[in-house]
Amino acid sequence: MEFTKEQFFIVTGASSGLGEATALELIKQGASVVAIARREDKLKELKSKCANPDNLYIEVKDLSQDIDSLPDYVKTLREKYGKFRGMAYCAGINFIGSIRSINYQDTLDLFNIDYFAPLFMAKGILDRRNNIGKGFSLVCISSSDGINPVKGQSIYTGAKSALILTMKSISKEVSSYGARVNCVSPSMIKTPMTVGENCVLEDDNKEKYPFGWGEAQDVSNMICYLLSDKAKYISGQNYIIDSGGEV
Amino acid sequence: MERQEFLEKMQNVLQTEKELSFDTELEELEEWDSLSAMATIAFLDKNFNVKIVYKDIPSLKTVEDIAKKAGL
Ligand SMILES: NC(=O)c1ccc[n+]([C@@H]2O[C@H](COP(=O)([O-])OP(=O)(O)OC[C@H]3O[C@@H](n4cnc5c(N)ncnc54)[C@H](OP(=O)(O)O)[C@@H]3O)[C@@H](O)[C@H]2O)c1
Repeated sequence: MEFTKEQFFIVTGASSGLGEATALELIKQGASVVAIARREDKLKELKSKCANPDNLYIEVKDLSQDIDSLPDYVKTLREKYGKFRGMAYCAGINFIGSIRSINYQDTLDLFNIDYFAPLFMAKGILDRRNNIGKGFSLVCISSSDGINPVKGQSIYTGAKSALILTMKSISKEVSSYGARVNCVSPSMIKTPMTVGENCVLEDDNKEKYPFGWGEAQDVSNMICYLLSDKAKYISGQNYIIDSGGEV
Repeated sequence: MERQEFLEKMQNVLQTEKELSFDTELEELEEWDSLSAMATIAFLDKNFNVKIVYKDIPSLKTVEDIAKKAGL
């Protein structure tokens, strides 16, 4: 067991894909998790899948609304659960951003949840009154597109590359009190974002993925490692998880 | 969306100077390439909530076929 139930983590995007896998792994390793997403039914399903359901706390929230108030939102969570040991920001959206089909509103919608929301959730949780101080760890999911974009990802790439360097800058600010900040950047992982009936993204270029498409656990294992004290000497980094093919 | 409006929008999606009709054969358009396919996928998704992927593209032969996908 890497963690104890007194150690609370926020996981955003916990209702699906990489966030769900991260919440399950943290619970499995003994931690308590505050699971955030919009779909309450999916969060309840997650709770029933947990190794220890009592350690999962559901918070239904649309993180792209009223982004200015997210730091206060984190404060209310701290008042409810206590100081946080870490956060995994796994919420996000993606769509084809062909230069022919983009419009400003869609661009804003994507930036809201993929860039501005993690920024203001980070502002909230990096407030020293809301975290445990030394040993605190924040991990944000960016994307290999944030470094090596493919066509049709103009907007997504903008948000994800901005996130990597923003988090790097922030890591330098908060190192003074012992907090760590890192990103992970997966390429193609099988989640509802990339497979299934609601998905229009598709990429079967096998050469880019020598080990095939990844599993959600391939990413959540790295996130949980970075959240743990095993990674106590690691901050300001961006870890690419792409089976060695793409970036 | 009316069929006529759809046609005007497709003109922008494909960014072609050739005037489109429902009978226009996609293969005859110089502009019908992988980028147009991508823009068409995004157009159907955003405007009609219709999900298609790249492997569905070869089944689209005419502008009418795209309209059918959109339910028009
Ligand atoms: N899968 C991949 O191959 C891949 C590769 C690179 C990067 N990523 C990144 O990894 C992250 C997770 O992706 P995924 O594959 O796990 O996608 P996913 O299965 O679609 O999950 C996305 C999560 O984000 C939450 N979310 C979206 N909008 C939200 C909002 N406005 N407020 C609160 N929560 C919101 C969703 O929950 P609700 O809908 O319930 O709110 C859901 O839990 C994303 O940032 C994605 O860009 C994924």
